[in-house]
Amino acid sequence: MPNPETIRFKSPDELKEEEIETKIKERGPEGEILGGIVFEEEKTIDPDTKEEKIKRYIYIGNPYEERPIITRLETDAIREDIEAIKKEIIPMKESFEILDAMARTYNHRQPLLIEGPTAIGKTYLAEKFTELLYGKGVKPLDFYCSGQTDVSELMAKWVPKVETEEEKKKWNDFLNSAEAQEKISQIAEEVEQKNNLSQEQKLALIHTKLQELAKSVGLSEKTQWRFQYGAVPKAMGLIKNPDGSFSFDERKGMGFILHIEEVGLAEPQVIDVLLKLRGKRGQLAEEIQLWENGGRKVKAGPKFWVFFSTNPPEEYLARNEVDPALARGVVFKRMKELSEESLHLAADYYFTYKLVKKPKEKPEGCILDIYNHPEIGREIAKVVSAFHNDLNKELKKGEEGRKQRIPLTLDDMAHVADALIDNQIRNKETGRLDLTETLKKHICFYYLDRLADEKIKETMEANLNELLEGITGEIEFEGKTRTRKEIFDILVERASITEEEKKKLEEEKKKEEERKLTQIKFDTLDKIENLLNLSDISEENKEHLSLLKDRIEKL
Amino acid sequence: MDKNDLNIFIHLLQKVFTQKQPPFDLGLIVKESESQIEVKEVFEEIKKIVDIERIIYDETIFDEDTIDKIIDAFQKNKWIFLEIEKDIGSPLLNQLKHLANSNSLQLIDYQGKDIFEMKMPENSRVIVFAERDFIENKISYPHFYRLFGPTLSLK
Repeated sequence: MPNPETIRFKSPDELKEEEIETKIKERGPEGEILGGIVFEEEKTIDPDTKEEKIKRYIYIGNPYEERPIITRLETDAIREDIEAIKKEIIPMKESFEILDAMARTYNHRQPLLIEGPTAIGKTYLAEKFTELLYGKGVKPLDFYCSGQTDVSELMAKWVPKVETEEEKKKWNDFLNSAEAQEKISQIAEEVEQKNNLSQEQKLALIHTKLQELAKSVGLSEKTQWRFQYGAVPKAMGLIKNPDGSFSFDERKGMGFILHIEEVGLAEPQVIDVLLKLRGKRGQLAEEIQLWENGGRKVKAGPKFWVFFSTNPPEEYLARNEVDPALARGVVFKRMKELSEESLHLAADYYFTYKLVKKPKEKPEGCILDIYNHPEIGREIAKVVSAFHNDLNKELKKGEEGRKQRIPLTLDDMAHVADALIDNQIRNKETGRLDLTETLKKHICFYYLDRLADEKIKETMEANLNELLEGITGEIEFEGKTRTRKEIFDILVERASITEEEKKKLEEEKKKEEERKLTQIKFDTLDKIENLLNLSDISEENKEHLSLLKDRIEKL
Repeated sequence: MDKNDLNIFIHLLQKVFTQKQPPFDLGLIVKESESQIEVKEVFEEIKKIVDIERIIYDETIFDEDTIDKIIDAFQKNKWIFLEIEKDIGSPLLNQLKHLANSNSLQLIDYQGKDIFEMKMPENSRVIVFAERDFIENKISYPHFYRLFGPTLSLK
């Protein structure tokens, strides 16, 4: 009996925490991750109106960790949304590392920067994270950096309202000139310094000066100018309306998720702008000042959050490193390539068709409904993940004859999985699906045909053949060492049997057993007959044997 | 030009994927240096198969106008044949990436909306046409090839 003095009663909070942690770490019968994201609803009573309100929350934690840190976030999404979104996320270790980092930094209003290879799922998970918070189908505000990104696209710009094509062309030529850019900046800065003017007076002055500028270069001075916010202020002041649309309020907006992609490609002037987003204690800035708008400030809403992502420098031609000042101002997370285990898990999901609704009827071009045979999918997954991994390693070294590198993504696997459903080749001898040949064709088409380097292409084609049909690709299957082709053939044969054929086979089996039993019966009767014909057998034994013979004959 | 290859290319673009998000791919046609095939010839061949509109992205056109044309073609449920003749500017690149990553366009302050979003219609697709040397030497975006699914190489 435990010592009563050591018994500790758990508080309701502690019990709740344990319940959530158990759900976060939940696994299925085969050890597959089912947790990671947990949805809960809480009923609250409004103290003023006494009305009952339902608040929805998601809990995010890394289910691969023994003691995960669990973050609770309020969500607009409903339970069905969350369940659907969960099904779209392959529960790889890396996916939960990213989601966990997103949830924790979002909760603390800290900007997050993830540097990781293409296939890691940064963009996809940014979309899923946004959906987890706002509901299915809601996308983050995406901004892609490139060497040509203009600061005004991020912050704001004045744009002339023009009507005719000719006018438009003239204006565009002018606005794209370095001279115009410099002069417009000068105007904005000059006006900003006039502290004695109100916001409206400043805007009116900018407008007048812009018209003067237009006149000085031979453009219509009557042109009206319009102020256009860029991605950063927009995300700070966005409001998601109940109908799913967005509106903007520079002072009272709730803010939204801004995903700035490929920040490694951003030029220094763009980085300077992004640095404005740094606030106190590692958090995002509470407001930013736009010099372009007469020094007007835009307030960051409480739900404003920035997620930066970039590929590792070695994936860029010029080895673009993330700017050190930016890296210091954000929560910086470096991710490695997907592990072999994760690649295999992803392949397993794709080839056992766990991510989609399976077709109700066999589609055209489908010989065998492999989507209904996970035992086949699991074997295909082993082959494709091994091949994918090998090819990716080769491609990391770069290709001869091509400057741009094309690392593989999980989409390549998805392409093959999709094609395997309805682009199948029949084995002419057996009339069944020739899985080896079909798989080979699709892998060549989706993985190898894009390669510029013929040497890599030839090597990988030979490797694929060896993996499928050679000794080095052999594995243990049902107690025997077999090639993948042999395994595919066995599994396809088993899966190809129709219900009618199955019945026929069972009947034949039954008949065979009956035939065997009849044979045994006659053999036994013969042996009894021989014994009865023996001269030295006693009358008593003869009687026993005759009785036995009668009984057997009646069977 | 191998018409069979072109047919397969179009067929692959028409495919709606169920295993991956987004479900449609953007297509790339690359004219290799040694190829004598004219771009017009390629476009006319595709036009025989699908309802497609040609947009030439060169020094005479601005990114914003190109995007307008893409939206216009989408509104008519048409395919787009985008011929790249200058390095891709940031606004257009942004939209091409949106199309590749989510089969949709996302624009700020467009058509009177704070955030304008438009899904690529189920019957529309985007084919980008460029010469190999141009891609390798003039396109500054280092992950250009990654925007596309099926690639047709014209030799």
